[in-house]
Amino acid sequence: METVEPFEEAIDLIKDAGGDAFKLCFQCGLCTASCPWNTVRTFMPHRMICESRYGLVDLEDESWWQCTTCNQCVDRCPRGVAITDVLGAVRNILLNFEYRMAPVSLRSAMGSLSGEGNPWGGERKDRSAWTKDTGITPFESSHEALYFSCCVPAYDTRLGNVARATGRILQKAGVSFGTLGNLESCCGESVRKAGNREVFESLAKKNIEAFKKAEVKEIITTSPHCYTTFKNDYPELGGIFEVRHVTQVLDRLIGQGEIAFTKEVKKKVVYHDPCYLGRHNGIYDAPRRVLESIPGLQLMDELNARENTLCCGGGGGRIWMETLKGERFSDILVAQAAQQGADILATACPYCILNFKDSVATAEMDGNLEIMDVSELVEMAL
Amino acid sequence: MSENQPDNRMPCAAEKPIGAVMVVGAGVSGIQAALDAANSGFKVYLVDKAASIGGKMSQLDKTFPTNDCSMCILSPKFLECATNPNISILTDSEVDAVHGEAGNFTVDLVQQPRYVDSDKCTGCGVCAEYCPVGITDEYNAGLSKVKCIHLPFPQAVPAVSVVDPSQCLFLQRTECQICVPTCNVRAIDFHQQTKKHEIQVGSVILAPGYDVFDPSEQSQYGYDRYRNVVTSLEYERLLSASGPNGGVLRRPSDGATPLKIAWIQCVGSRDVAAGNPYCSSVCCMVAMKQVILSKEHIPPLEMVILHNDVRAFGKGFERYYERAKALDGVRFEWAKPSVVGEDPETHAVTLRYRLDGTRVREEAFDLVVLSVGLSSPPGNRALADRLGISLGEEGFCGTSALHPMETNRSGIYACGVFCGPMDIPDSVTMAGGAAAMATERLGRSRGSLVSEKSYPEERDIRGEPPRVGVFVCHCGTNIVKSVAVSDVVAYAETLGGVVHAQEDTFSCSIDSIKRMVRTIKEKDLNRVVVAACTPRTHEPVFQDALRQAGLNPFLFEMTNIREHCAWVHMGDKKRATQKAGDLVRMATAKAGMLTPLSRRPYAIQHAALVIGGGISGMVCALSLANQGIKVHLLERKNVLGGMAGRLRYTVEGDDVQAYLKRLIERVYHHLLVQVHMGSEIKDFSGYVGNFRTTLLTGAQKVSVEIQHGVTVVATGAQEFKPHEYLYGNNNQVLTHLELEEEIHAENDRIKECRSLVMIQCVGSRDDERPYCSRVCCGQAVKNALKLKEINPEMKIYVLYRDMRTYGLMENAYRDAADQGVTFIRYHETDKPEVTAKGGGKTLQVLVTEPTLGKKLMLEADLVSLAAATVPPENNHSLSQALKIPLNADGFFMEAHMKLRPVDFPTDGIFMCGLAHNPKRISESVAQGYAAASRAMTVLSQEEMRGEGAICRVNAQRCTGCSVCEEVCPFHAVAVSPESGVAEVNSALCKGCGLCAASCRSSALDVMGNNEEQVFSLLLALSANS
Repeated sequence: METVEPFEEAIDLIKDAGGDAFKLCFQCGLCTASCPWNTVRTFMPHRMICESRYGLVDLEDESWWQCTTCNQCVDRCPRGVAITDVLGAVRNILLNFEYRMAPVSLRSAMGSLSGEGNPWGGERKDRSAWTKDTGITPFESSHEALYFSCCVPAYDTRLGNVARATGRILQKAGVSFGTLGNLESCCGESVRKAGNREVFESLAKKNIEAFKKAEVKEIITTSPHCYTTFKNDYPELGGIFEVRHVTQVLDRLIGQGEIAFTKEVKKKVVYHDPCYLGRHNGIYDAPRRVLESIPGLQLMDELNARENTLCCGGGGGRIWMETLKGERFSDILVAQAAQQGADILATACPYCILNFKDSVATAEMDGNLEIMDVSELVEMAL
Repeated sequence: MSENQPDNRMPCAAEKPIGAVMVVGAGVSGIQAALDAANSGFKVYLVDKAASIGGKMSQLDKTFPTNDCSMCILSPKFLECATNPNISILTDSEVDAVHGEAGNFTVDLVQQPRYVDSDKCTGCGVCAEYCPVGITDEYNAGLSKVKCIHLPFPQAVPAVSVVDPSQCLFLQRTECQICVPTCNVRAIDFHQQTKKHEIQVGSVILAPGYDVFDPSEQSQYGYDRYRNVVTSLEYERLLSASGPNGGVLRRPSDGATPLKIAWIQCVGSRDVAAGNPYCSSVCCMVAMKQVILSKEHIPPLEMVILHNDVRAFGKGFERYYERAKALDGVRFEWAKPSVVGEDPETHAVTLRYRLDGTRVREEAFDLVVLSVGLSSPPGNRALADRLGISLGEEGFCGTSALHPMETNRSGIYACGVFCGPMDIPDSVTMAGGAAAMATERLGRSRGSLVSEKSYPEERDIRGEPPRVGVFVCHCGTNIVKSVAVSDVVAYAETLGGVVHAQEDTFSCSIDSIKRMVRTIKEKDLNRVVVAACTPRTHEPVFQDALRQAGLNPFLFEMTNIREHCAWVHMGDKKRATQKAGDLVRMATAKAGMLTPLSRRPYAIQHAALVIGGGISGMVCALSLANQGIKVHLLERKNVLGGMAGRLRYTVEGDDVQAYLKRLIERVYHHLLVQVHMGSEIKDFSGYVGNFRTTLLTGAQKVSVEIQHGVTVVATGAQEFKPHEYLYGNNNQVLTHLELEEEIHAENDRIKECRSLVMIQCVGSRDDERPYCSRVCCGQAVKNALKLKEINPEMKIYVLYRDMRTYGLMENAYRDAADQGVTFIRYHETDKPEVTAKGGGKTLQVLVTEPTLGKKLMLEADLVSLAAATVPPENNHSLSQALKIPLNADGFFMEAHMKLRPVDFPTDGIFMCGLAHNPKRISESVAQGYAAASRAMTVLSQEEMRGEGAICRVNAQRCTGCSVCEEVCPFHAVAVSPESGVAEVNSALCKGCGLCAASCRSSALDVMGNNEEQVFSLLLALSANS
């Protein structure tokens, strides 16, 4: 049997990069037992924590890029170990050490973020193209809230509908809002989880400067990822704002009677809890209340719902990375929804929608199962 | 906590205190406290908010590590409580407020109505048959239904039905009342109201127990979704003969026989996500017990226990663990699993878990048992608030390590799980301790409020032909499963002399006893035969029934058709029934030959000998002395303190030396405590109430004779000197105790230490010493935390087999990890290696890291070993001198591991502290008080009575040869120099019969088992049935 020694310098590096949470781990393996990767391959976060503790990390192991930061492990860990923080710290070190160890698609996303403020290779000047003919105006300090669409609706033709639907609902409900259009950059959440602290900070600072200049107080986001980072990571960089996810806003507006439904949506809908809305932020009931208030809509939970939801596979920067066929979580979720007899698989996160759409296409289920955002369903019933 | 309070141990100054104690909570610890206090001369009010006493223990099937049936060992205590004239049981009651102060409290109780008159109800159960409403049976953990009016459970005390008002049709909607006319004693009374009681007591003991963790709060376990996921308490009920399936193990989803079961440990314990970060102490043992029992139910059963440390730290627990591991088809896997899902057809549950650091396994099970933890119920917080008692963060009573059982309110004490998760022996011990503290200060009022139990005058049956009553017990299903009891009853009726024969579900239950008493009187019986379990459980109960009916208690014969018949002939009902009939015939024949016997009273010495001047010995001595008893404290060495002399601080950070100093001062200052230093025992003889010990004391070995009524063994333990890991050959290798001393002394090499490795289980849990030393894991964590205080940069590694930081110590374990202490698990077949390098200046420790699957090389300036706690060498000679037994590991053996943890089988001799088993200081203190409490049940009496069924000498036949004197183990018979014939000491004699068997002149008879009586058994056996 091989003999090794703890590698002190590596341990210090990991601690400095924010990964000292490994110290609480007692190797019970519940993280490994809970991680969705083990439904499709073998993946052992507990081992990676152990390796971090001794500084014996294999930098060439592609496992470090697997984690989607779905938080299933963090949620259940009996010691409260911030497992994803440890993995994030190692990713950070990997990128600093040997940038080319990061997957190609990740590197190109980072390049696009640095250059154009979005990961999709689109140009900054096209960021507000989705607002054309919507009547949505640039944000002014007199507006109640800033609507932050997220890069996906901004640059994806299909998901642009989500942003437009949201805009229409807010206008109909009389909410005063605007967007900062091309002044907005990516929130930086995913690139931070992918380990690139520097790119995240530069994006965040840019956003914070723009928001402050425009006197933004409240931000409404479509993506739970933007929501999470604005709420948790921006304050320590000087950006303190009120943040709401769109489903919370819809919930409030419906509850206060500001939104009136005139049409029925007679469909069987399975609601998928996005990891970053549910497990990360505890928002489970608001989206359900919104869907249940839509006339004619029959709402069902997934087989494993709420805290036990299976991740779609998009978080942690993996939305930009290749996932092998047969290992895609979204395939499993789409198949389950179909088996439940759903007409629509509804969710409230752009990454989930992207992944579900991909899965529906690969499974050739177009036309049998629709993928929609909660806001789109609300708009249908207005 | 007690530093600023008036000394809890001084008798009350002002007015005479009230000679009564209230015990709040009637689980096993409440019951023990009540019995100890009542048997020491105090009136006791035993209060519980449930409809019956018994608490959680009454819901258990069997108890570890003896696998005794829980109710079998508990019901004698139930009956004792119910029949003791000095215990008033108040069920359905809660404490609203406690006014006043220690010695003089007024307690406001609120008692909910049962809607059944307890004076009239016989517990017959007819009303339940007619009641139309079914409700969830809480006793069966919600697994079955029971009627709205029902007996809480078969052996409930009081054995009175109760109505659930929230579901009663009459009480909710004024419909129904069907039950009322069905009761032939008109006991049902819907006019009952809530009652308020104001009760004056001198002390209060809080023992309100716990709730089990509700796993539906953690949806990951699928407890609410999957039919075949159950809690450990539900599983207890499934295993139990009085459970929903009558003890037949069935899968909940479809009633099929499960063939593969998994236990998931630490559900709702050691889990910050669940909100319960502490360890629940008992669940590892419960799971093992359930595994062992389940094997008996279904031999081919495959079972897996998925754990995160196996905490088998108590007395006999490690051997029990080995026993479970050795079973065919049983695996212990170190892993926390996730519940993947349920098979839609079979409802089998799939678990997924990691295997070391290389693989992930999925495994399907027919049934998954969640080993749920113990938590503080909201009711406890509310109670504590009302009484002004402070609770810790986790909801357990904030008692301190050096002053367990004391709360922040003088005169109010606490015990049992209310103070933190603990098992039954620890609860019972702590309860005894609480009773001692509660009654100490009431000493002046001892006996003021008590009354003797009165019995009718004994009827003279001489000259009457035998009129025998035969009572055959079902013992729930234990006997009737293998023996056709009705056939035995029918057979008994045909026997000569038998005028009454009947069967009972439980002959020992309160109502069966009541009926037995009535039957004896009505049918004019003059002999009673009970065919049931072993006399060791309930013989005294039945004998008491005879007394209540006016019969001499020795006109009773018990025959064991459970252990001697039903349990050994399972599966052969025809022949087992035949044998039971034979046994009854034999017993009936002998019964006819029984004659009345009496128990002679004798005077006792109101003094005590405590052997051992460590913490538990001193605590015990002081408690006894505070109650007016003269105590001789014997210490072998020339200094008091025992092992505690080497300890500086507890895990919780208390100053041990300051505590010890105060304790020693109090011992020396107490007028009633005489300390004999440098002393050993030369001679020991006597019996409870009248012991005589000769000491050799001091350097001169002066002979001192002491007469005492009780003896307490508190001889402690010592530290094992390891022979491995370079200990003794390299002065950088220490034991944990040595490390603690060096830390305290602030030695340079501690301050300058850069890296320290601790190795656990050195000398424990191996072939030579297959037991756990219990304290070392806590000690390791304690020292690690101290070291981190001195130098946060110090690298500290703890190499362990299982981290046994049980109870609230788990928080310290997590704290140590949070401060960067690294814990590495090693397997007993792959132990760490310690080598010296660089001319012995640095040490290298090699250990296999289980996840990495590689050997980890750790540099260490110091290595500290968790050396075992071992019994002292002279335990053997003491054992022989006092005729007290040792267990297989060399510690003293108590009378019963669960319910009599401080008693020796020999009456009048008690034990406490490390002499019993390795334990923490708080546990030694509790046990010291508990031993005092038990001793007071003897010493508070004016006189004692000997055994009745003793030996008798026929002086005419005796030749004075002295063989009997030589063989008697109790020194109870001797040839008198005056008369020249043997004479029996009626106080000492236990009636064992060794003398009678050895006498070559047939001059000795064992009364109750004399030659004639024994031959009658044999003759009856050979008679044709």
